[in-house]
Amino acid sequence: MRVLVVEDFEPMARAIVTGLRREGMAVDVAYDGDEALGHLALTRYDVVVLDRDLPGVHGDEICRRLAAGRSPSRILMLTAAGSLTDRVDGLGMGADDYLAKPFDFPELTARIRALARRAAVPLPPVLAHGDIRLDPASRVASRAGQRLALSAKEFAVLEYLLACAGRVVSAEELLERVWDEAADPFTTAVKQTMRRLRAKLGDPPLICTVREGGYQIGEP
Amino acid sequence: MPELRHPGPARAFRPSLRARMTLLYGAVICASGVALIGVTQLLAPGLLGHGVQKAGGPDLPGAVTAGPPTRVPPTIGPSAFWSIVVAFAIMAVLSVAAGWLVAGRFVRPLRAIITTARDISASNLHRRLGVRGRGDEITELGETLDHLFGRLEASFQAQRHFIANASHELRTPLSAGRALLQVALADPEPTVETLRATCEELVELGDQQERLIAALLALAGSQRGIGQLECLDLADITRDALLARQEEAERHGIRLRAALAAAPVTGDPSLAESLVANLLDNAIRHNLPGGQAEISTALTTAGAAITVSNTGTLVPPDAVQDLFQPFRHLGTQRTRHGEGHGLGLAIVRAIADAHGASLTAHARPGGGLDIEVTFPLTSAAQRANAPDVTAQLTKVPYIKHANPVA
Repeated sequence: MRVLVVEDFEPMARAIVTGLRREGMAVDVAYDGDEALGHLALTRYDVVVLDRDLPGVHGDEICRRLAAGRSPSRILMLTAAGSLTDRVDGLGMGADDYLAKPFDFPELTARIRALARRAAVPLPPVLAHGDIRLDPASRVASRAGQRLALSAKEFAVLEYLLACAGRVVSAEELLERVWDEAADPFTTAVKQTMRRLRAKLGDPPLICTVREGGYQIGEP
Repeated sequence: MPELRHPGPARAFRPSLRARMTLLYGAVICASGVALIGVTQLLAPGLLGHGVQKAGGPDLPGAVTAGPPTRVPPTIGPSAFWSIVVAFAIMAVLSVAAGWLVAGRFVRPLRAIITTARDISASNLHRRLGVRGRGDEITELGETLDHLFGRLEASFQAQRHFIANASHELRTPLSAGRALLQVALADPEPTVETLRATCEELVELGDQQERLIAALLALAGSQRGIGQLECLDLADITRDALLARQEEAERHGIRLRAALAAAPVTGDPSLAESLVANLLDNAIRHNLPGGQAEISTALTTAGAAITVSNTGTLVPPDAVQDLFQPFRHLGTQRTRHGEGHGLGLAIVRAIADAHGASLTAHARPGGGLDIEVTFPLTSAAQRANAPDVTAQLTKVPYIKHANPVA
């Protein structure tokens, strides 16, 4: 899951990014409005965590632009302005969710996950395929009732493939959706993660390699 | 804020303005009536009594005009006297009634002003009396009160805005601290390093809050006014402040240049130090890496002045005055600085105001600000220092071109 955190107060931004990365999300951060628009122009994020009171382009303006451009990114406004009027205004200008500071971190992650489920095709809270079950909220994946000990990236790759429900996913797409902007585009990280993931999933093989470097879950 | 209602009892003891105006009006009319009769009686003793005496009948004093020439002894019969009294009483009643009406007409706008002014409180300060009319004193009173309410409303709004900003600024590090702690607590495999990093961040956030609170107190202190007055030299204060900031300037890669000539002022020592410190901090913190700041003090004809010019980001000329409002940053500023709390220049302005000093600020064409604070020449300072200072200035022993520190 790819998340953009737009927050001008650096210690707050660092805390959010650290917490979300630990949850296995691929997180980029922008410290002002212009930087955020730059990121949004380049990458399709699943969820944008947006502070309202930003230097440069105001958070409200970013929200309006995303809504007007029919962006697929879900917007979660995370801001100090928490009165009823503020919340109504925020949701009215196109935000999908609103969380006032100070907030509880588990609530933030839960809301981000809930927003990500509301993709173009709604996703169930627990992903399943054959004997595989994957619960993004509790971060538990199991096969035939056996819990799988997956790393954060392996988990995220499996989650993405399950969410794509049999569609062929290219290595580049995986790199964009699961890794953050710090990833080297020529890295073999996807290949290596996929090898480890397959080894942990065991037999019968679940992930197939399709011609020209694509991956697919289910029957070839 | 409690509403101030005027208690009723005061009115029970004292007659209203309308009643007093009526009484006064009636009294004046009656007095002039009495005076008129008295004067007439004195000057023309027969005038009132003539017709009555001759006819001895029921004629009213009006018959006087019909009577023959006045050659009759000047005495007034009892019926004529009563006629005068009755006429007088009628006139008195009429004049009181007229006075009541006229006074009512005058007092009515006042009553409207009182009713509206009583209704206006902190929660509906936007209301106005809106007295319109002839441009007389009552209209003027209404307009003056409206202006007063306008100023009060602006001041209340500024205060609310300030409190909202201050609480926001205080809450921001608190929320960040809470998020940091929750993230650290949720860490399934905490290490000494990650916990230490969290602790350090929390300490830094605490420092930031302390600085903000100190600045808020400094602002409140400078707005309260001057405590003790002493003869000071801005050059000495600036020199000490510069020495204390050399390291920080080096860290930011900023060159400080100073030309410090004696600039005697009479002022509160701690406030004057705070003013200089905030000017210098602003010049260092809102500068560019590798930028510079020039600081000078001097005694001019207008008074003792301190001038600070620094490079920095471009400031739109119309945004300069806004920077002296509390919690105003330049909109283009990339992130909230860990050190800046947005109160420095507001403190400078409050201290300058408290000392009656003039403050001018200009945006520099290449970016950054020129700020000059000129303290008025007080007689004491002038007497004590001015002759010496002119001598010193001609010799220029005080002017030091401080070495660039970076």
